Amino acid sequence: MNSRERLLSVLKGNKVDRLPCICPGGMMNMIITELMERTGIMWPDAHIDANKMADLAAAVYEYGMFENYGVPFCMTIEAEAMGAGIDMGSKIFEPHVVDYVIDSVSEYNKLKALDVNSGRAKVTIDAISILNNKGSGVPIVGNLSGPISVASSLMEPVTYYKELRRKREDSHKFMEFVTEQIIKFGQAQVEAGADLITISDPSGTGEILGPKYFEEYAVKYLNMLIDGIREVDKDFPIIVHICGQMRSVYSQINELKADAFSFDAVVNIKEIRKHMEDKILMGNISSFALQSANEEKIKRMTENSINSGINIVSPACGLGTQSPMKNIQAILKTVRGEN
Amino acid sequence: MARLKEELLKELSDCVFEMEDEKVISVAQEYIDTGYDPLEGITEGLVDGMNRAGVMYEEEEYFITDLLICSDAMYNGLNVLRPHLPQNKLEGEKTYKCVIGVVEGDTHDIGKNLVRIMLETAGFEIYDLGRDVPLRNFIDKAKEVDADLICLSTLMTTTMPGMKKVVEMLKEENMYGKVKVMIGGGPVSQAYCDKIEAHGYSPNAVEAVKLAKSLVGMGIPAK
Repeated sequence: MNSRERLLSVLKGNKVDRLPCICPGGMMNMIITELMERTGIMWPDAHIDANKMADLAAAVYEYGMFENYGVPFCMTIEAEAMGAGIDMGSKIFEPHVVDYVIDSVSEYNKLKALDVNSGRAKVTIDAISILNNKGSGVPIVGNLSGPISVASSLMEPVTYYKELRRKREDSHKFMEFVTEQIIKFGQAQVEAGADLITISDPSGTGEILGPKYFEEYAVKYLNMLIDGIREVDKDFPIIVHICGQMRSVYSQINELKADAFSFDAVVNIKEIRKHMEDKILMGNISSFALQSANEEKIKRMTENSINSGINIVSPACGLGTQSPMKNIQAILKTVRGEN
Repeated sequence: MARLKEELLKELSDCVFEMEDEKVISVAQEYIDTGYDPLEGITEGLVDGMNRAGVMYEEEEYFITDLLICSDAMYNGLNVLRPHLPQNKLEGEKTYKCVIGVVEGDTHDIGKNLVRIMLETAGFEIYDLGRDVPLRNFIDKAKEVDADLICLSTLMTTTMPGMKKVVEMLKEENMYGKVKVMIGGGPVSQAYCDKIEAHGYSPNAVEAVKLAKSLVGMGIPAK
């Protein structure tokens, strides 16, 4: 069983020889400075050049860090395509939004439409094609930023969150427009050869929104996005990552149409399993520990994670770029039973 | 006939607690027009409402968006009451100063903004440096305003080491201890706080107020 077959089998609930071990990319960053230095492929160059992006993504697999390829390496591509100003970061910092586009949800018609044939959306699509042409049996993960995270990158988040409640009609129009743009990017990733897509929506958490608005905005537009991607391929595998404590939204999370769910380190897998019995769960090795602990500790954390009933072993959040490579490799070694 | 002070204080508190950001303006105006004490209107009315909202947040009945709307109501009320406060502060009353910001490399500031609101509610004088803040700026601002507290936030693992650097810079400048450092944000934990020798970690905005007060000794009578 190669790593692509293993991951796709798990996502459809089928039996496998052992657990897959992946880190998707996107918000769930898997690139570390040590890998850039060893390969000579540096950020921010790899954010804007399809060959470099593909080579750096492939290096993650080749250096024994994770059993997947994943692109892009940030969550700013959608917002940039709609007009937001981006600081491209450095070999330490990820790209981040520095200029908003609109002042209110009501101004959504001032946003640019996302064009998959230009800018960094095209770079990402091209990188997926390059990785797909390798035919290496390594699963290719495309990544999207979730609708609330993109929307709150286009305007001041405090104003955005308030207007979700005060200007509901316009908020829904805004969210529909944003989601339609992300769908275009997702469909192009599928067509370019991605095996699965991970959607990360760190700004749309239960802790921020509460159950009522989580359902009205997070669940609704994540599902619209998932349905949109599956217009191209009706069984296309999708993972959703949501940050923060989930207690307040256990019942709402079950309405999401994703195949698998990824949570951050504050979520106890045994606890959430009671509320999501038949779901595929991914996670949730503390990215803080990966940056600061030693291999022995990480081996134990990985064993605990496997014993807690996780289906896909993965970091709980994006990796810190200063994490040592040997710490990251310790997860996969443990999953493979190598040490 | 004029309404009783207690009745109006309760209504000010309720307006904040129940997110009545427009009604609070007329209630605050009525309170002032009747000649009641503006400071009491703030502390026993508006801030009381915000504190009640904070309790609901701790009980997971209110969420971050609820607190943001409550704070709008509080600020609208403050805009009416504040101009009527006496100009000179009481002799010997200490103002606790806090520099707050999201560390360099990160622009997620929703948590930081909420902590700022809650600290302001508690009476701290806030110097908000915003988001993606170069680390040196925290030290320079703390020095400039003679701050008691620096609050650092990040939601990204990548930018967490910036918190450690701020602590180290404070030590180099011999400001560590005189200025306390409080940290928070998604991937941050008590273990990280201990490791980098920050003075305190808070998992949420309500806890942050309790922690900030205890770190600077606010509300503890001077000996």
